[in-house]
Amino acid sequence: MAQHDKIYLNPTPIRIWHWLNALGIVTLTLTGIQIRWPEFLNIFGAYKAAVSLHNTAGIVVSISYLLWMAYYIFVAGTLLKIYVPTAEDLKHGLLRQAIFYFFFYFFGKPNPHTPTPDNKFNPLQKVTYLMIMFLLLPLVIISGFLIMNIGPLREVIIAVGGLKLLDGFHYLIACCFTAFLFIHVYLATLGHTPFAHTKSMWTGWEEEDKP
Amino acid sequence: MHYSRVLVPIFAVLLIMVSAGFISAEVAPRERCLHCHGNRSVISSGKGYLYIDPHKFTATTHSRIGCSSCHDSVTSRHPADALRPSRASCKECHLPVVREYLGGIHAEKAACPDCHNPHTVRPAEVVSGADMNVQCARCHDNAGIIKKHGHWLPQAQLHITALPCITCHTGSQQYVINLYIQSRHGDKPRDGYAPATHDELAALVRPGVPVSRVIDADGDGVVSLEELRTFHRNAATRGMRLWGMMMPEKITHTYRILKNRWDCTFCHASGSKALQTSYLAIPDQDGRSIRIPVEKGAVLDLLYGTPDFYMMGTSRSSTLSIIGLAIVACGAMVPLFHGTLRFLTRKKRKDTPHGAA
Repeated sequence: MAQHDKIYLNPTPIRIWHWLNALGIVTLTLTGIQIRWPEFLNIFGAYKAAVSLHNTAGIVVSISYLLWMAYYIFVAGTLLKIYVPTAEDLKHGLLRQAIFYFFFYFFGKPNPHTPTPDNKFNPLQKVTYLMIMFLLLPLVIISGFLIMNIGPLREVIIAVGGLKLLDGFHYLIACCFTAFLFIHVYLATLGHTPFAHTKSMWTGWEEEDKP
Repeated sequence: MHYSRVLVPIFAVLLIMVSAGFISAEVAPRERCLHCHGNRSVISSGKGYLYIDPHKFTATTHSRIGCSSCHDSVTSRHPADALRPSRASCKECHLPVVREYLGGIHAEKAACPDCHNPHTVRPAEVVSGADMNVQCARCHDNAGIIKKHGHWLPQAQLHITALPCITCHTGSQQYVINLYIQSRHGDKPRDGYAPATHDELAALVRPGVPVSRVIDADGDGVVSLEELRTFHRNAATRGMRLWGMMMPEKITHTYRILKNRWDCTFCHASGSKALQTSYLAIPDQDGRSIRIPVEKGAVLDLLYGTPDFYMMGTSRSSTLSIIGLAIVACGAMVPLFHGTLRFLTRKKRKDTPHGAA
């Protein structure tokens, strides 16, 4: 059996944000399905219940996103360090990590990246989370906010191409999130045990290989 | 007996001739009435209620049958005779509608002319939902209505603004979409849009060409998706846009709330036949509107339809739905593909941690 060291990888505010965000995203996905295809799926009863829940979850995710950003900028001060890939990451790290996941992993080779509190994401994660947290999430929040306030923000909606286009945009980003959700949950099972990473996100402590 | 046989027909003929002359003297042409009643000086004389806006009246169906059809007691000596001309009752011509209305809750509160001024009323199919709501707002305070609906209706303000009240408070089972061309008033984004006038549209086509050609370019009486696309391409630079509004397919006077209207999916569900059917209302020179059918399903079309008309769950684009589902499927394939290989190679990774979500 391999020996494991423990490192404190996920501080309490981040864990609270993560699970709140997870609940919010799942709620948004399910209610979003009912809102778009009400004749095929009815999980939450009345249509307006799905809409209200979708709006509430959207607000929760938006506020928790702001808190997440405030924490990383003002408290931890590690936002850029953790999320922005370095030149080395882009030059070699991405390919190395991709080759590991799609080839060396199956032969039991070690992960080329070892997480630390200040560098907890591998290059693939950095690029992915950078896209998600700094591009897709803000865009889905802004488009959702516009759709929630059609009356007062009608002119802005027209300026960005109209309600129909905005809704399509919101929907496609949401689909990207759903696609990511499958990959995210699956990759979370790649620890030394299937629930090691999930446990780490619950307790904060990550178990690592002892050299 | 002999004289009477001659005199009676003579008297009869004379009577008919005199009557005919009398009647012709009584029938006042519309223009003759409007000479006084269409003059704004009537208002300044303190009798504003006698003023008839000639432009609006000419656009009504009532103007076609003439003033004296309803005011049949008016004499050739009016107004010197000091007699108040009679007024026809609405039910004399609109009995089925009046009967239906009398059976509803509004009958005790308002008479027909309270909502339908006979001198300005237009056919229902050419009246916008916003105009209809103006009538409702005369009794039903708009802010109060929004607040009351807000207790159960999400985005109440949007619904109240975007729909005529009679979309739900109606006896009509189905609805259609009416499209209007709106023009921007002012240069600032907040200045907003208002329905484009005939003159504004006429300025966009060559003199003598019907204004409907602004959209219906080939003049075939049907607005195609291609014509919608061309209009949208040029609309922004012209300061115009297309606006859509749900309308009941049939106008009724019951004002009852149909049970299915409490269910949001009555409107917010795909496949509704009503969203396939839409019309474009174009104002004509006389203040009336021309209704032109639009190609089926136009409001559902993402690229060529009305960009600002969207109903959740209803006017969704099938193409986008498929693209979105393909993205999700790609995401789901990764665990499936990787997980299968992971399972097949599990013996090679004994006690090997890997990490990263």
